[in-house]
Amino acid sequence: MRRIVLLSLVLAALTACTEPRQALVVVLPNPDGGSGAVTVTEGDKSVLLDQPYAATEVRGGAVAAVKLPSEQVQQIFGQALAARPILPSQFMLYFISDSDQLTPESQRQYRAVFEDIKRRPAYEVEVVGHTDTLGDRTYNQQLSLQRARAIRDQLVRDGLEARAISTAGRGALDLAVQTGDQVSEPRNRRVVITVR
Amino acid sequence: MRSIARAELRAAIPGLAAALILAWATAGFAANSKIGMVKTVAGQAVIVRDGARLPAKVGDVVLEKDAIETGPDGTIGITLTDNTVMSAGPQSVLALTQYNFDSSNFNGTMLTDIRKGTLAVVSGDIARSSPNAMKVRTPTAILGVRGTRFTVQVNGER
Repeated sequence: MRRIVLLSLVLAALTACTEPRQALVVVLPNPDGGSGAVTVTEGDKSVLLDQPYAATEVRGGAVAAVKLPSEQVQQIFGQALAARPILPSQFMLYFISDSDQLTPESQRQYRAVFEDIKRRPAYEVEVVGHTDTLGDRTYNQQLSLQRARAIRDQLVRDGLEARAISTAGRGALDLAVQTGDQVSEPRNRRVVITVR
Repeated sequence: MRSIARAELRAAIPGLAAALILAWATAGFAANSKIGMVKTVAGQAVIVRDGARLPAKVGDVVLEKDAIETGPDGTIGITLTDNTVMSAGPQSVLALTQYNFDSSNFNGTMLTDIRKGTLAVVSGDIARSSPNAMKVRTPTAILGVRGTRFTVQVNGER
């Protein structure tokens, strides 16, 4: 009896090995060398992958951790990885108080923003303007939008397509640095530019 | 008599307004919203939308519920509005099954299906917004994603 149980266990294990692999999941390192996490759930069983190159496969309806050499990751996923778009980037440019004029330092930084957008074959740009808490709400809402539009206009003058650039103003609603009301704060007088 | 008619009309106004709002909302949902853009294409890659197969080009808009297919030599790369970046290798079938993202607070949810092929993902704002917000589904398993880079391969029917 015990022999039969053992035999069927061995058989089950063998079948699991010979079943074709249904799915493979690999966590890759972030640029800082660490990683986030992926939970792979099949039926009532889950495997947590929270290390770079942690991998799991689904085979015969069962999920199990596997070791995968990095050259095999490259072999299986090389073409998908090579098709990856340029990753989105984000920039902040700062303004002179109560104006839509960039600070001298941000004027220099603007060039980097422009070059980052230009290298993308199909770019989308979001410009969101902000103010510090000096001045009233309506005025700041208007000023923040004016800042966003000033940057868009400059990008368009430099040859980018207006329809690929969206603008919004958030007034003093999303402060980069928390302050009380009516406080002049250079780090809050900014636009946040997201480039995709 | 006239005053009764007017009273009836007045009573009907809320119902009429509700019907108009409903019609407007339904019309709004009928067209799937823009959720991303095609950024790279090589070889054969198509967007399947409402049954139509549209050859994918760099710059094409991607909508919620679109499916993406690549041929034997095809690859495609897409960036979504929450800054999630996805790319697929040859012989792949994906579906952007569900997606919503609020760009004012960076919260949202998304579900992507991979039916076969290979997929590489760099997660964006949605995966950061809450632990269960971003999901990728294979024919048998489901992946919950927390702010990371990962790849998925699904072996389809052979």
